Amino acid sequence: MTFAGLPLGTVLGVGLGAAAATVLLYLLKLRRRPVAVAFAPLWHRVLGDRDASRLFSKLRRWLSLALQLLLIALLALALGDPRPTNALGSGRNLVLLIDTSASIQATDEKPTRLDAAKDAARRLVRGLGGSDRALVVAMGAVPVPLSTMSDDTTDLLVAVDRARASDTRAELGRALELAADALRGLPNGEVVVLSDGVLAAPPTTPSLGSAKLRFVPVGKSGKNLAITAFSVRRYPLDKSRLEVMAELANLDSQRAEVELSLWGDGAIVDSERLVLEPGARLARFFPDVGGARHALEARLRYADGHADALPADDHAYALVPERRRAKVLVVTPGNTYLEAALLLDEYLDVTDVKPAQYPPPGAFDATIFDGVAPPPADKSGGLVYLNPPAAGSPVKLGKPIKGFGFDTWDKKSPILRFTALGDVQVATGHALEPSAGDKIVGASDAGPILVSGTRGGRAFIELGFDPRQSDLVLRPAWPLFVLNAIDSFSESDTSYLSAYRTGEVWRVPVPAGAREAELSSPGGATRSLPVEQGRAVTFGEHAGFYRLTSGTADARVVTEFAANLSDLDESRILPQKKLAVGGENAPPPVVNGGGVRREIWLWLIVAVLALSVVEWITYHRRVTV
Amino acid sequence: MGLLDWFRPRKLAPAATPASELFDDEFQRKLEMLALVSRRVFSGRLRAERRSKKKGSGVEFADHRDYVPGDDIRSVDWNVYHRFGRLLVRLYEEEEDLSIYFLLDCSASMGFSGSQKFDQARRLVASLAYVGLANLDRVTVLAMTEGTLERLPTTRGKGRIFTVFRFLSSLLPGGTTDLAESLRAFAAQHKRRGLAVLVSDFYDPAGFEHGINVLRYEGFEPYVIHLVDRGEAKPALDGDVLVVDCETGDEREVTVTPGVLDKLGKAYAEYLGDVERYCTQKRVPYLAADVSTPFDEIVLRALRHGGFLH
Repeated sequence: MTFAGLPLGTVLGVGLGAAAATVLLYLLKLRRRPVAVAFAPLWHRVLGDRDASRLFSKLRRWLSLALQLLLIALLALALGDPRPTNALGSGRNLVLLIDTSASIQATDEKPTRLDAAKDAARRLVRGLGGSDRALVVAMGAVPVPLSTMSDDTTDLLVAVDRARASDTRAELGRALELAADALRGLPNGEVVVLSDGVLAAPPTTPSLGSAKLRFVPVGKSGKNLAITAFSVRRYPLDKSRLEVMAELANLDSQRAEVELSLWGDGAIVDSERLVLEPGARLARFFPDVGGARHALEARLRYADGHADALPADDHAYALVPERRRAKVLVVTPGNTYLEAALLLDEYLDVTDVKPAQYPPPGAFDATIFDGVAPPPADKSGGLVYLNPPAAGSPVKLGKPIKGFGFDTWDKKSPILRFTALGDVQVATGHALEPSAGDKIVGASDAGPILVSGTRGGRAFIELGFDPRQSDLVLRPAWPLFVLNAIDSFSESDTSYLSAYRTGEVWRVPVPAGAREAELSSPGGATRSLPVEQGRAVTFGEHAGFYRLTSGTADARVVTEFAANLSDLDESRILPQKKLAVGGENAPPPVVNGGGVRREIWLWLIVAVLALSVVEWITYHRRVTV
Repeated sequence: MGLLDWFRPRKLAPAATPASELFDDEFQRKLEMLALVSRRVFSGRLRAERRSKKKGSGVEFADHRDYVPGDDIRSVDWNVYHRFGRLLVRLYEEEEDLSIYFLLDCSASMGFSGSQKFDQARRLVASLAYVGLANLDRVTVLAMTEGTLERLPTTRGKGRIFTVFRFLSSLLPGGTTDLAESLRAFAAQHKRRGLAVLVSDFYDPAGFEHGINVLRYEGFEPYVIHLVDRGEAKPALDGDVLVVDCETGDEREVTVTPGVLDKLGKAYAEYLGDVERYCTQKRVPYLAADVSTPFDEIVLRALRHGGFLH
C-alpha cells in the first residue's frame, strides 16, 4: 500500500489531532435545554425503566464516540489517497475505437447501436484504474480522435458523447493503424473495438505491436431493407422527359413486401408495392416521371408501415439534371454532315462562322473546329477538333495513315456512348501522338485516332481524320458522337446521373477562378471547402442534398448535388459477435465494476457517507437515543 | 426557545389572574344561577338544619340502641318492644349548623402553565362558598402552601361572598406542596368538625393519600376536588431536555421521543386513576375538575351527584 496523497506522517497527524478534538468534545457534558414541568415524579415514573438500561446508555455513548473516531480515521486515510503499490506506474493504455459507420445507426439496440456502443465505452472509461489512460476514436471511413490519451474520465466521457454516426463505412484497417501509432512505445496497450462488426476489412493486417485487440459487439438483428442505387436521367433525344432507376435490396432472411415511393420536390409522384425475396436485389425503373423539376427522393419501407432496423439506407436522393440550351460555335468552311448532326438536338444554339471570322463575339459552351485550328479565343468552351492541321493542333499529328478504322475504343467513355464504331471505314487520316495526361478514346492498329485531354485548362477532343473521308458520317454513330462531345463540355449530361457516394472524397466542379467554396450540408451546417484544380474537395459523410456556393464575389454560382449511402456492404447490418484480425478472435475487454477505479479514497469517502447516513437516521428516528 | 431565552431567568410559576377578570360580572351572574339551582336541589329542607353525626335530642330519628339502666324511659321504643320483645332506646340526630372548610392548594404547580388550574380552583371555591353561604352554612376558606395556612375567618350569609372574592384574589401560587403538614395544622386549629373541601392537583411528592387521611382521621368529612390539566400530559417537547420540577427544582435529563410522551400520557392517566380509586375505596367524594370544563358545569355536577351538601 502506498500513499499517493498526503504522506503517512501528515495523515497520522491530522487523524490524531481530529481524534483528540473529538474525544475532548465527548468529555464535555452536554448542556440540555431546561424545561419546567408541573410534577417531576411523573417523569420519574416514565423514565424509571430507562434507568435500568443506564449501562447500555453509557455503552451507546462510547459506541457513538467509537463511530466518530472511525469516521475520522476513514477521512484521514482518504486524504492519504492509499493505493495498492502494484497499481502505481503499471496502468493500461487503451484506445477505444467507437464504430461511427452507417450500420451503427441501426435501431435494433434501443435507441441505436451507437448508443449501446457508447454505453459500453462509458463503462470502460468509468472502470479505468487510477493509472490507466485512454484515447477515444470515432471509427468511420476516416478515424478521428475525439480526445487525447488521457486519464481524466470526465474528458473521456465528453469525448464518448461527441461520437456521431456518419453514412460511411467503418475502415477498421485505418483505425487500427491510428491506434498502433497512438500506442507505440506505451506499455500495456489495448485496442478496444466497439462495433457491430460490419466493418470494411483491412487490405493488410496492421501490426499492433504488443497491444492487445479487444472487441465489444453490439447489435441484435440484421433485418434491413436498402436502396442501393438511385439515379435519374433525361432521355437523350427528349430531354423534357425523365427516367428514374432505383435498386432495392432485401437483406433479411425472410420474404418482404415493401413499398417504394418516389417523391419529387417534396410531393409524392409515384409509389408501388413490391415483393423482395430473401437476399434479393431488384432494379426498378420509373419511366417518364413527371411532377419533379428539381429534387427527387426515394423512400423504402415495409408495406405494413413499420420501419426496418437501419433507416439510413431507406432514403436516396438525386437532383434532376439541368436542362439548358447549349451554345455551340462551329468554325467550318462548310460541312453538311456536321450541320445535319447539330440539327438533331433542338436544345443546341448553333452559330456557324467561317474560319476567317473566328472569333465571333459571345461565349460558347463548345466550339467545333472543322479542318482548322486557330488559336482558341477566351469563352470558347470545350474544343472539338475534326482533322486539324498540324499547326495549332493540340495533339501532335503523327504519320499519315490510310484505310483504317476503330480497332479499339473506350466503350465507357461518354463521348462514344450509344455508338457502334466496329465497322467504320476511314480512307485517310493521321495517327495522333497524345501527350502525357491525354486520354486515347479510340485507336486503329496504326495509332490513336480519337484523343481527349486538357490544354491550358481547357478540355478538348481531337479526331485524327476528316469524317467526310469515312463512312462514319453515314452512320447513326456520327450525330451521337457530335452530341456526346458537346454534352461532355456543357455538363448537360443526359446519362444516369448518380449522386455522390458517402465515404468518398467528393470533387465538385466550380467556376474558373474560384478559390474557395461554401458547402451547406443537409443538416443546415455550412463550412468552407478548398478548391483544387477547379473542383471543391471534401470528404462526404452524410447522405442528402447539398448546396455549394462558389465563384467570385461578383458572380456567385450555386451548385446543388445529392449524396447517397449506396453501399450494399454497409446495409448488411447483421451484427458480428466475433472480430477476427490476423486469424485471431479478439476477446472482450476486462471491465471493472460500475464506477470502480483503483482509487481507494473514493471508497473511504463512500464509507464515511454511509456511516453518517446510518448515524443520522438512527439518531433522528430515535433508534439509538 | 430562542437564543435570548438562555439569558432570561427561569420562570416556573406565572402571576395569578387579577380579580377583575377572575370574578367578573358574568361570573357573579352564574353564581346567582347556581344558588337558585341549589335551592331547587335541596327543596323542602330547612335552612341551617343539617344532620350532624352527633346523636342526641333532635327530632330526626337516627338509630336504636339497647336500653341500659338510667336511660330516659320516654325514649324507649315501645313498638319494637311489642313486636320483638326487646327494649331499645330511640336515638335522634342532633341538628346544628354545618361548617364548610375550603382548603385550596396554592402551590406552584397550581399556577403552572398559565395558572389555568389555579384560576379554575378559585372559581370553584368561590362558587361552592356562595352556595354554602346562601344556605347559611359556616364557610371558612384556607390557602395552603409549603405546610402553612392562610385563612379567611369563618363567615356566613351570602352577603359575605365579596369578602371571599377579595381573599381569593389576593392569593398567588407558589411554593411546594405538603398536604399532610398543612392539613394537620388545619385540624389542630379548627376544633369544629365539618365538611372539608380539598381543592388541589394533588402533585404532592410525599403522596396525595396523606393529606386525605389527615382529614379522615381527624373527624372531618373530606370532599376531594381534583384539578386536572390534561395538557400537562402532552407537553410540546422534543429532543434532549432537562426536566425541572416547578416546585422542588428536581431535575432529570430526558430525551423526549414520541414513545416517551406516550408513556407520560399513560402515567398521568394512571395517576388520576390512583387518586380517584383511593377516594372511592375510602368513600371520600371525588370530583375531577378539568380546566377545560366551565366551572359552573363542575359545580352543578357536584351539586347533583351529591356529597357536597347532605
